[in-house]
Amino acid sequence: MSEQTKPLPRITPDNQPFWDALREGKLVLPSCAACGKPHLPPGPVCPFCFSDRLEWRPASGRGTVSTWTVVHKEWFPAFAADIPYNVVQVELEEGPRLTAKVVGLANDRLRVGLPVVIDFDEAREGITLPRFRPAP
Amino acid sequence: MAYSIRDQTAIVGIGQSEFGRFLPDSQLRLGAKALKAALDDAGLTRADVDGVAIHLGWPLGVDYDRVAETYGLDLRWVSQTWLHGRFVTSAIQQAAMAVACGLANVVACVTAISFTRERQILGGPGDAEGTREDGGTHGESPPYGLTAPAGGAALAMQRYMALYGATSAELAAVPIAFRKHALKSPHAVMKKPLTLAEHQASRMVVDPLRLYDCCLITDGAAVVLVASAERARDLKQAPVYIAGMQGLRSGRDEFIFAPRGLGINQQPARREQPPERDLAVYRMAGIERRDVAGLYTYDAFSPVVLFVLERFGFCGPGEAASWVQNGRIELGGELPMNTSGGLLSEAHVGGWNSILEIARQLRGAAGERQIANARYLQWGTAWGDSVIFRSSR
Repeated sequence: MSEQTKPLPRITPDNQPFWDALREGKLVLPSCAACGKPHLPPGPVCPFCFSDRLEWRPASGRGTVSTWTVVHKEWFPAFAADIPYNVVQVELEEGPRLTAKVVGLANDRLRVGLPVVIDFDEAREGITLPRFRPAP
Repeated sequence: MAYSIRDQTAIVGIGQSEFGRFLPDSQLRLGAKALKAALDDAGLTRADVDGVAIHLGWPLGVDYDRVAETYGLDLRWVSQTWLHGRFVTSAIQQAAMAVACGLANVVACVTAISFTRERQILGGPGDAEGTREDGGTHGESPPYGLTAPAGGAALAMQRYMALYGATSAELAAVPIAFRKHALKSPHAVMKKPLTLAEHQASRMVVDPLRLYDCCLITDGAAVVLVASAERARDLKQAPVYIAGMQGLRSGRDEFIFAPRGLGINQQPARREQPPERDLAVYRMAGIERRDVAGLYTYDAFSPVVLFVLERFGFCGPGEAASWVQNGRIELGGELPMNTSGGLLSEAHVGGWNSILEIARQLRGAAGERQIANARYLQWGTAWGDSVIFRSSR
């Protein structure tokens, strides 16, 4: 990893459709055609019923902040200019949780239970990172 | 009925190097000092050691093959875990199981680490593991700048505070207690008291974790020798029996730095009293939780000390932050924890400094830190594994 470049997610055969959809401004979740449950992170089988019958279903993009933090320490040089910056976990309406960040809100207004909607960061090297904004 | 390992094995020797920051010695030299001290302590020689369990390997620590070659050991059993603090229990358990199964007579658990020389592996660009497929093992998410283990503890504590109204000032009781213990340990790196005001004024690292909620970054070595109970009774020291154990929990209900059901990562958000399955360590040891005279844990960050109390049912879900107030986890309190200061204030030797302390306590050799009448002490972690040790005194 370069010190000055922010790391990008590692694309795998299991999560490729997730990142492909984000590039088109869509959030999709691997969902089980047998038991119906969606899951994250994307895996090769349903973690709930172990079925192989997965399909990618659109998610609403709505959720709530289930936990959050604000990073004040420089661990990784590429993030130094962003300090202090937030990182959140969002519980999607469909159930699974996604780690991301919240934009359009002061860090001191972050709280557990905050309703948020998805937004899409500009693509870098073909990757679009999901991020969230406070729900209108 | 399954074979029981209760009291089949024991700690027969302990040794350590000095603990400190920026020590000039190599990890292998620190380890040699600790191994010599442990052999002297046990009345054994290098030739008696035929097994080695390594918890933390290269580059932070030392790998088993270099240990064997460097110290001139002739081994017939080795084990080495993935380079993570969480596997301290696994290393002890594997040593005990190897001895109990006849795969080795004496296993040396060797931990020799230099955090200060290898700092960049903690959350920086050299920490390749954070980029593991779908994130690091403590909830790291490098694309968003969450690259260090502390981030995972922060995510868990933040939600815990929101759910239960716990505060940073309450959390401070943990590092303050362990600092008091460290002041009684001649090996401790931290030498001055810590006040609540100092804790509250210390810099925020990763909200809500302040500086003093994060463990030390130090160098040092510790060696623990495990042999059969039968052999132990013929050796120099009073045996410290391994009375019971249970393994590391893993699954979708688990997040490394949270009790079950807290709702971090993909954990269900549903707290419950610990199920019987997660209290098996007491059954194997043949005791009740109330028989435990002291609890020792891997205190990488102060929240995990709260979480281990709830994990093993010392208090109910959401109660630990208030439970630890008023000296309850201090020497002289109801349940002393990490009586030599732990990772937060004695030194970060991968948790093994606390294993050494357990052995000293159960030999009655802990000096001014001695827990009166300590017969059973528990090592247990926020991720659910545990070993209960019994005194032979």
